[in-house]
Amino acid sequence: MDAQGSDCGHPLEEGSAAPGCTSTAGQERGAAPGLGEREPRSNWMATHPKLMEMMSLDVADSSQVHAAFLVYLDLLEARNWHEVSCIGVAELQLVCLHGREREVEDLQVVVPSPIHMSFSHERIRQILKRACRVQDKPDSPPSVILAIVESDSTVVYYKLTDGFVMPDPPDEIEDVDNKQSRKKRKKLLR
Amino acid sequence: MIQIHVLEGKGFVWSYEDARRIREEFRMVGILVGALARKPRQNIRLGLPLQLLPEETRLLLELGAAKLMRPTGLQPHREDTIQAEPPPTGIAVYQQGLEQSYKEQRHLAAQERKALLDTLAEQIAQGQAKKRKKRGESADVPLQQTDLESGFVFPRESMMVQIPTERLEPGPQQELDWQAASLDWPHSGDPSHETRYRIYRDLWEQGHFVTGGTKFGGDFLVYPGDPMRYHAHYIVLCVPQQAPLPLYDVISAGRLGSNVKKTVLLCSAAADGSITYTSVQWSGMQ
Repeated sequence: MDAQGSDCGHPLEEGSAAPGCTSTAGQERGAAPGLGEREPRSNWMATHPKLMEMMSLDVADSSQVHAAFLVYLDLLEARNWHEVSCIGVAELQLVCLHGREREVEDLQVVVPSPIHMSFSHERIRQILKRACRVQDKPDSPPSVILAIVESDSTVVYYKLTDGFVMPDPPDEIEDVDNKQSRKKRKKLLR
Repeated sequence: MIQIHVLEGKGFVWSYEDARRIREEFRMVGILVGALARKPRQNIRLGLPLQLLPEETRLLLELGAAKLMRPTGLQPHREDTIQAEPPPTGIAVYQQGLEQSYKEQRHLAAQERKALLDTLAEQIAQGQAKKRKKRGESADVPLQQTDLESGFVFPRESMMVQIPTERLEPGPQQELDWQAASLDWPHSGDPSHETRYRIYRDLWEQGHFVTGGTKFGGDFLVYPGDPMRYHAHYIVLCVPQQAPLPLYDVISAGRLGSNVKKTVLLCSAAADGSITYTSVQWSGMQ
């Protein structure tokens, strides 16, 4: 059975916290006065050049920028993505990320978002529309990866695609299903 | 014309001929909700009546293939109708039909048994040879071929019988105007029904089989062919285009979908009549 089929081993659940950052980092930045003496160490994130760059784009609110930064770290350091860059999309008020999962693969658009946010379907459509402009292949349906960030910096990724995307065909599970249903049928017809 | 009987906003089909047409001609599945006379205490297999989704009912009505019937009162308990003997020719025809059906079923059952025996022939021969060896007989007595059809026992109780669930004489009833919302049919004009209907109809027109989606927490399930033969490909969530969709819901729907190998489909009906579909899939990036 593959990773998707098992319900216990969500590969994203383990080790998905971005390396080097804790759940409180960033959010309670400067809120606790006691942290003053350890300021230079505990606040490395606040002065991270990439975070500064995302902030300076000045397109999104701080929680979305923060989420974008955590996803940026996760993609680069935990998932070894290539050519990850951040792009500010003013019309959608989002900091998006572009990158390649592997060096030879197509450029993908990642939309980071903190978990507490809501997206209307209309907004999702706007994001998809915007994303298809940067995709390498104009003939494939536009798609983005939604990266949802928990407050403990867990990131889960969901792929959003325009139109119908057929699921992967079921494999060996099918046979088990059939055996069971055959047994059931037999029982019923007896 | 298919007759759909309304009861508290739900549409039911009692005639087996109509139910069959709905499935074969119109690719609509509905759900069977009647207990089987032979197996009353289970709900894995059920029989007529066929309950239709409001969307299925409406599509049949809009296609002009069906009419919605509403009972206007209880059927008077008329002793004479019940007691009245059906015409003898009717009985004879029915009996003849039963006899014919029995013959056909017996023939089919015999064929099935023969096919089964053929596939097991080698094992049976081996087993018989072993037995003979045990008893000290010679091992190479040829298998005796019996005429299966003549010796085949097919008890009459095992025969499948179509039970006529439809009333022979309908009670007092009248056709209902489904375009106006009423107590019996409250769906028309209801915004969520209108959205669901437009999405249902669009999916149906694309050639899919569409059923209710409660099994997987969606509005509909979309199958590439008859649900008896295929797994569903999509779990449809009908969402108003502008309504905020909490990301928690996207995660739970997407996660469930990936566990059952289906794609979650966000569907919205735009004001201009177009339907937009967005696929949501868990991205198993390692």
